[in-house]
Amino acid sequence: MNEDELVEYFRAQMRQDPDVASAVAAIRTLLEFLKRDKGETIQGLRENLTQAIDRLTGVDSSVAVSSGGELFLRFISLTSLEHDDLSRCKKVMVERGELFLKKISLSRNKVAKLCHTFIKDGAKILTHSSSRVVLRVLEKAAAEKKRFTVYVTESQPDSAGKKMAEALKNLNVPVTVVLDAAVGYVMEKVDLVIVGAEGVVESGGVINKIGTYQMAVCSKAHNKPFYVVAESFKFVRLYPLNQQDVPDRFKYKADTLKTAENLNEEHPMIDYTPPSLITLLFTDLGVLTPSAVSDELIKLYL
Amino acid sequence: MPGADKETDLSERTEAFLAELKRGGSGTGPLRGSGETARETAALLRRITAQARWTSAGDLMEIIRKEGRRMTAAQPSETTVGNMVRRVLKIIREEYARSGGSSEETDQQESLHKLLTSGGLNEENFRQHFPPLKANVIEAINELLIELEGTTDNIAMQALEHIHSNEVIMTIGRSRTVEAFLKDAARKRKFHVIVAECAPFCQGHEMATSLSKAGIETTVITDAAIFAVMSRVNKVIIGTQTVLANGGLRAVNGTHTLALAAKHHSTPLIVCAPMFKLSPQFPNEEDTFHKFVSPQEVLPFTEGEILSKVNVHCPVFDYVPPELITLFISNIGGNAPSYIYRLMSELYHPEDHEL
Repeated sequence: MNEDELVEYFRAQMRQDPDVASAVAAIRTLLEFLKRDKGETIQGLRENLTQAIDRLTGVDSSVAVSSGGELFLRFISLTSLEHDDLSRCKKVMVERGELFLKKISLSRNKVAKLCHTFIKDGAKILTHSSSRVVLRVLEKAAAEKKRFTVYVTESQPDSAGKKMAEALKNLNVPVTVVLDAAVGYVMEKVDLVIVGAEGVVESGGVINKIGTYQMAVCSKAHNKPFYVVAESFKFVRLYPLNQQDVPDRFKYKADTLKTAENLNEEHPMIDYTPPSLITLLFTDLGVLTPSAVSDELIKLYL
Repeated sequence: MPGADKETDLSERTEAFLAELKRGGSGTGPLRGSGETARETAALLRRITAQARWTSAGDLMEIIRKEGRRMTAAQPSETTVGNMVRRVLKIIREEYARSGGSSEETDQQESLHKLLTSGGLNEENFRQHFPPLKANVIEAINELLIELEGTTDNIAMQALEHIHSNEVIMTIGRSRTVEAFLKDAARKRKFHVIVAECAPFCQGHEMATSLSKAGIETTVITDAAIFAVMSRVNKVIIGTQTVLANGGLRAVNGTHTLALAAKHHSTPLIVCAPMFKLSPQFPNEEDTFHKFVSPQEVLPFTEGEILSKVNVHCPVFDYVPPELITLFISNIGGNAPSYIYRLMSELYHPEDHEL
């Protein structure tokens, strides 16, 4: 499977199922790559995979794709430790890979099941930009016959908030789109804030669409709970201490990285929210406090 | 027939326990400490394990879960009952795994690592029959009971590390754990205790009497004076009814005020709570979180005229968020509130969080 086929497969996955998380599409693509790989050694397989992951991040530079890729590499390492023979190893890998994909396709439902009990009747919820996980949580809460209203930020520069508002209108949930600048204004009215995440870092903080950090600071000032919903495959091995520490390759879109002359003049697409501002994280591994996240990552990577 | 006798005896005891739980909550019967409730629950569960009819671990777990649901429904605010049920369920799982031959403690928690390496959708259904399982489970429950009996002493043993001479300690209401804690420190140190009376039940008065009998200099203050006096206080030591999964507390009403005053003056807030009070609930369930009792204590029925014109509430509990707490002292040592998630994963299995 050469590079172009790889990219085409990835794009096709994203097109076919717009609801799928980009990390899941990346892992599916890599599994397909694994099936078609003609390498003779495990070392060669790893090298090819690393190249493939680089290529994919060149197409979609989001944190989620990178974390999905790293998780897949880790998966290969763990499996290859158990079996020496390459062909049997590959068979086991493919089997486990399919099983893994099946499990993580259920993860959004698990998160929704955990989170919807925190939404009380009559609650006013504030959310940021468009997140499929948050949408699933709100769907579940609406299905449990809870009445709530939602404020969504517009989330420039791509106006993703409007997409979220459309989806919520289809669920008959009263929704209002607010300006990004109006977060401070609206914060006193809301009861809780729920946002998704593109990546959850080792400290328990999150990386999400630009504007999330602002929302978190405002909610802390007003003493409102700030909840993050994320699937476990978004856990990534980064430890940023401030906004500057987030690597450039995540901050900007892939095309911007390639064509821009001076990155300082470009607008970053994501920001980092430190764990001190987050109340709870809802993941398919359970409800976690930010300090519990690093425990999970250590269990996986060490 | 002996078999039928045992069963009716068992169901009688269970019914008696449930009735006591229901009565104990209305505030009329003698108030039992949560330690007693925990011990009685564990003893009852041991009896159920010994006398009920079951063949595999799965059956036993079902029976215990069913009884657990009935017990928690009888008195939702008494969380120690549910906690003990969950502990016993975890014991059964562990003993089953050990009988099944799997070495040590296989990590039963969900984790990323498990997601990646598991070979199949392993649905443990606990159907295998192991003859020694019954004896093992009963022995483990006995160990649990021994642990429960020693909790107050274990906590009191740590008192000398935290209380120093000539300190002013503040507490609220009456907690048997804190009482033992302070009395143990008083054997070797001289310090002063200020007790907030905690209206309307004014349990603080009993606490003060008991402490002064042990030779500790005690002062009783009203709840309204907490903030005023806080600047003179070195440490605040309190007990609690429940420790929640996020590290917060469900404690007697007035505790949140105390915690806020302590935060304002940067006074450390220490919570003495044994491990059986740790509950996997989060503070979001509004229906079962609070308990209200008769407003007679707040506004007696003799105040005829006003009663028709005002609403009177008498809540029993308060929520204290984890940011206001400095340290938890339990029978296994001192821990920060951010570590509670770890202690919980050691005590309970995630599938048992919902009984």
